Amino acid sequence: MNDSLLSSWVEWTPALLDGLWTSLQLTGGSLAIGIPGGLLLALLMSGRSRVVKAVAIVLVEIGRGMPALVVLQLVYFGLPSAGLTFGPFLAATAALALTTAAYTSEILRAGLQAVPAGEVEAAAALGMSHRDSLRYVVIPQGVRVAIPALLGFSIQIFQATSLTFTIAVPELLGQAYSIGAATFRYLDVLVLAGLVYLAVVLPAGSITRLLERRMGRHL
Amino acid sequence: MTLTTGTSVVSLRGIRKEFGDHVAVRDVSLEVPAGEVVAIIGPSGSGKSTLLRCINLLERPEAGRIEVLGQAVEPQGGVSAAELAKLRRGVGMVFQSFNLFPHLTVLRNISLPQERVLGRSRKEADARSLQLLERVGLADKGASYPSRCSGGQQQRVAIARALALDPQVMLFDEPTSALDPELGLEVLAVMRELAADGMTMVVVTHEIQFAADVADRVVVMADGAIIEQGPPSVVLTAPTVERTKKFLRAVMDR
Repeated sequence: MNDSLLSSWVEWTPALLDGLWTSLQLTGGSLAIGIPGGLLLALLMSGRSRVVKAVAIVLVEIGRGMPALVVLQLVYFGLPSAGLTFGPFLAATAALALTTAAYTSEILRAGLQAVPAGEVEAAAALGMSHRDSLRYVVIPQGVRVAIPALLGFSIQIFQATSLTFTIAVPELLGQAYSIGAATFRYLDVLVLAGLVYLAVVLPAGSITRLLERRMGRHL
Repeated sequence: MTLTTGTSVVSLRGIRKEFGDHVAVRDVSLEVPAGEVVAIIGPSGSGKSTLLRCINLLERPEAGRIEVLGQAVEPQGGVSAAELAKLRRGVGMVFQSFNLFPHLTVLRNISLPQERVLGRSRKEADARSLQLLERVGLADKGASYPSRCSGGQQQRVAIARALALDPQVMLFDEPTSALDPELGLEVLAVMRELAADGMTMVVVTHEIQFAADVADRVVVMADGAIIEQGPPSVVLTAPTVERTKKFLRAVMDR
């Protein structure tokens, strides 16, 4: 590793950190919208109405079946033809939120199903309404069971934000690409970008595994 | 609401419950007057738990009429959420597997249903919960999580949780079957006190001694039907039905 590479990395770091901040915002936004959406889909799928269940399943299958890149392109380049125009950041958030909702609905459904039927029965026998039983007994425990898997998925969504460089969102990869285009030093700048992704993903992975071990308590 | 002795708290008429091709309960009728302690015994698969679960409609019978505290429902005609809530309000239930909410402390387990079902304030609910925890001998356990309690303690919490809603009748579905004999005793002690206080109780149990000591009436079920019933002194010591004799011999031999 020579001095010019190191000094270039130091020079590029602020721009990449700006990009990282955008990536993290995108991740946060997608999860903040997508996970509640996933919970809603999970509840609808385990509901009683057949029509509602069918609609939820179709949404989930579309969200999981279509590659995130396709959803992204569809929202950004496709929807304007239908009169819906979003800026790059908003389009990226919407597309990734949809993917998040579809995938996390399965994770959350498994979590909700892990709550013992006996507890739901006890809530019913106590006279609690179906709604209260969901709100106070099933959802708190189901979500808790799902947290490690949700964190694992969140890491994947963080990585998937790099796809949004294709619609000109100035996130981490987008910033690296711009520097590469200006300096023609693609290899050097992409290695640095990769290291920045790693610096986020590796600790996040260890935290997930730590939580996985801890969440077992009181369940 | 207080009921004078003699009024039926629970009245079952012609209850029939099927699971697929299997008839679990066939046309059973049972009256439980206020203040009575009824023990339902019988071999496994005889339909006793299913019958008990029909009382608060955890199972919907295919035929029959259920009357609890003067409110009648015919489940095969459909039951509204409001009717269900009203019926269950007067009926407490304790399960074999305790079914406490593991993510809530013991105190919250008892207070939450009071807040949601009876609309008590948190302060009122907690005061009642503490009073009941004391009654079941667990005054110091309020802040613990269920996983920190023994099975016997969990079952006593479950009893307190049901009592907190001021039920007029308590249903017990094999409350000691999942417990070591020693821990079972502390649960039975609480149930004895409850009976002595005049609570109307329907208890599905394998504890013949408890039935002998505490029950006013023993109901014997086999193959989904009541085959014999009467005071424990008669049914448990001088049964007239051959199937009852066989069952009691099997239980005593254990």
